[in-house]
Amino acid sequence: MTTFLKATAAAAILSIASVTSALAEGHGWKPEGPIKMMIAFAAGGGADTHARLIAEDLQAATGWEIVPEQVTGKGGVNALVALKEMPADGTAIAMVVTESIGYNAAAAKGAGISPSDFTGLTTTAGFQMGVVAKAEKGWTSFEDMIAAAKEGELRFGTMSPKLSDLAYLLGEAHGVEFNIVQVRGGKAVMNGVQAGDMDLGFMAGIQGKGVASGDLVNLASALSEPLKQTPDAPTFADLGVSFNADGYFVFVAPAGMDPAAREALTAAIVESTNSGKANGMITKAFGGPVNIQGAELDALFQSDFEAAGALMEAAQ
Amino acid sequence: MGIWDHVIAGVLAVFQSDPVLGVPLTILMVLGGFLLGITVGATPGLAGPMAMAISLPILISIFGFSNDALLPVLGFLIGIMKGATVGGAVPAILFNTPGTPDAYMTTLDGYPLAQKGEARKALRVAHFASASGDTFSDIVLVVCAPFLAIMVESYLDLPEKTALLILSLAFIASVIGGSVGKGIISMGLGLLAAMVATGEDFYPRLTMGQPSLSEGIPIAAAILGVLILGEVFKALEDIYLDDRSAKAQTGVNVQESKVEFLELRKLFPYIGRSAVIGTCIGALPGIGSTLAATLGYTTAKRRYAIKKSASDPEFGEGAPEGIAATEAANSSVSGANLIPVLSLGIPGNAAAVFLILAMDSIGGFNPGPSVFRLDGGIGDGALNPEMVMAFGLFTTMFVANGFNWTIGGIFMRVVGVMARIPKARLLPIVLLLTLTAIYVQETSMVAVWITIFCGFLGYIMRRVGMSPLPFVIAFILGGNLEATARQAFAATGADPFFLFNSPIALVFILLAIGVVIYSLRSTAR
Repeated sequence: MTTFLKATAAAAILSIASVTSALAEGHGWKPEGPIKMMIAFAAGGGADTHARLIAEDLQAATGWEIVPEQVTGKGGVNALVALKEMPADGTAIAMVVTESIGYNAAAAKGAGISPSDFTGLTTTAGFQMGVVAKAEKGWTSFEDMIAAAKEGELRFGTMSPKLSDLAYLLGEAHGVEFNIVQVRGGKAVMNGVQAGDMDLGFMAGIQGKGVASGDLVNLASALSEPLKQTPDAPTFADLGVSFNADGYFVFVAPAGMDPAAREALTAAIVESTNSGKANGMITKAFGGPVNIQGAELDALFQSDFEAAGALMEAAQ
Repeated sequence: MGIWDHVIAGVLAVFQSDPVLGVPLTILMVLGGFLLGITVGATPGLAGPMAMAISLPILISIFGFSNDALLPVLGFLIGIMKGATVGGAVPAILFNTPGTPDAYMTTLDGYPLAQKGEARKALRVAHFASASGDTFSDIVLVVCAPFLAIMVESYLDLPEKTALLILSLAFIASVIGGSVGKGIISMGLGLLAAMVATGEDFYPRLTMGQPSLSEGIPIAAAILGVLILGEVFKALEDIYLDDRSAKAQTGVNVQESKVEFLELRKLFPYIGRSAVIGTCIGALPGIGSTLAATLGYTTAKRRYAIKKSASDPEFGEGAPEGIAATEAANSSVSGANLIPVLSLGIPGNAAAVFLILAMDSIGGFNPGPSVFRLDGGIGDGALNPEMVMAFGLFTTMFVANGFNWTIGGIFMRVVGVMARIPKARLLPIVLLLTLTAIYVQETSMVAVWITIFCGFLGYIMRRVGMSPLPFVIAFILGGNLEATARQAFAATGADPFFLFNSPIALVFILLAIGVVIYSLRSTAR
């Protein structure tokens, strides 16, 4: 009997394996030339590194030629404007953040882009966005920081207009007014906080090592859920702010893409975020891969884009 | 575990890395980087940061992201940085085409000296001064890195940093070149170019609706265009207009002119001062080597005017002291530059930016105050791995210095031969190399057109007697100045007088106004 069970199990595994491998090989879609991968982040940072590692893994796994290229600036809007004009045959994709297609596209009215101009492929990883301060400040909780803010003005570092709005609303909910200092990129916020130019700030995962070593403290989670590293820190909803900084790194292509191409590209990217070098880096920096795709991703873009107006109005 | 255990562990990490062909890998990488750097630096149209930018992704794809990759990769980059600094004097002296803005001041005396047939002497002086300044700076780095950066940072808040940037711009605009007015115009043009498509808004400003400008003017295009293409255009016109003078310029005479020890000894005071100036400037975050070179040159000029004997050449007419002062100052920035990098993670110049990028990408080393903590290890009595890495890094710098003193000297003497190439043949090659380098870096034809446009701008500036250097510095610092000013304004709760409310910032602003007025009065006289 056991032999029979073993044989059946083996057969089942074999058939699953053959089906999956058939799926992997038999998407029936191949790009017509090299794929241009636009990266909306400065070369060498965490976001750029993870995009380049995915490109490498992707190329090794599929044999498609991937050409990564930096198109930075305006919170991903520059990359999106460039992508919109490209052919939708799978030879042009871009890595941005969900905020680029949501808040930033809504705020950059002159750029003329909206979620309907793009085909979402898949997210790769989520932000671990925390409100972070240096341990030296002596604040162990969010309340300590608010108490200090009532004593004297505090400087709050942010890295995008959306986060500046959130910082303002966070202060408003607690009866304090922060001096909000907007800089370029999470790394710049971290430098500012470390150097004492800012008292606290938003960091999207870069704080992990500092928090682990006790140099930095996660005072709050700017997400709808607690931070993986500091689950006890209150979320923005707990703190009376009805908006949050939930967001993901995401690959997009121009609108009107052939569903077969979309499926093949999505599957290949998902595969590379879950294995190899890219997976190691994503797990280290962002707490593991997150793959939102298809209709769910389309809905996420649309709701982010629409929520932008409400957030801007609330922060007026 | 004491500090010495960390020092020893750091040195061993370099010398006991996996041997390749019997040589420790890290040392081999430093040597490779150094040779690449010196070649790149000595080639008109190429510069160190560019080579670092191209090497970094290649290195990471070879070595991967493990902690073992850190020292070989950083060693290679440091090799390039050091090699390019010393090599950068070669095109400045031989062809009057500085590869980097800091080498511009070297052309002022180096090129006249080369035209007198003493190119080798100029190169030897440059090498000696550069290597001395570099070594001095590295020693200061090792001794002071932990304390100095934290001290500087605690005194300079955002308004003070803004004021310091304004002071550096005012200084450079009024001191360089013959006319304060032209210097300020040149600086203003640089700031204007830096404003294109930058800023916090979601729509790109000042692009006149051109999508190709929406990412701003590429930094390499602006700098190489103004500095190199401008010079090439002017020189080509000179050759066209005056065939005879072209023949006279053809081939700088390279005679074996020995530099006696006595002659070198005369240079010591200049090198010493410049090394101190360069080291101090290097330790300030975000200022960079060009200001150091300028300051070194002008202080030396003042001293030289008093001390020189009647037969010595004036500054600007081929005084070895001018080369020594400039090269010592710009080279001594490179070591001290790592003080803000290691202690705060803030880059002081383009080369430091790539070192930080490498550390960030590979991981395992997070520049910041935690680097120099004795209790940074896991568990009691364990070594702090980041501090070990920092001392490993210092070791690679000293290894690179060793190469600098030995191979660097030989190399500088060898490249003297390049001066025999007639200018009419060389200039087109420089032009081609520069445009190719721009295209490789930016991969867009727009960048090439911008470079050529900036080249014409540089040409016009030279024709009307305006120094292109304030343009270049203002272009580099412009974005930084705007961002810091914005942040200072926000951080002080939208106080419009943020530049005048703290004593340090006020002193900087008064000095900035003072230096312009003083220079105006002294030129009027």
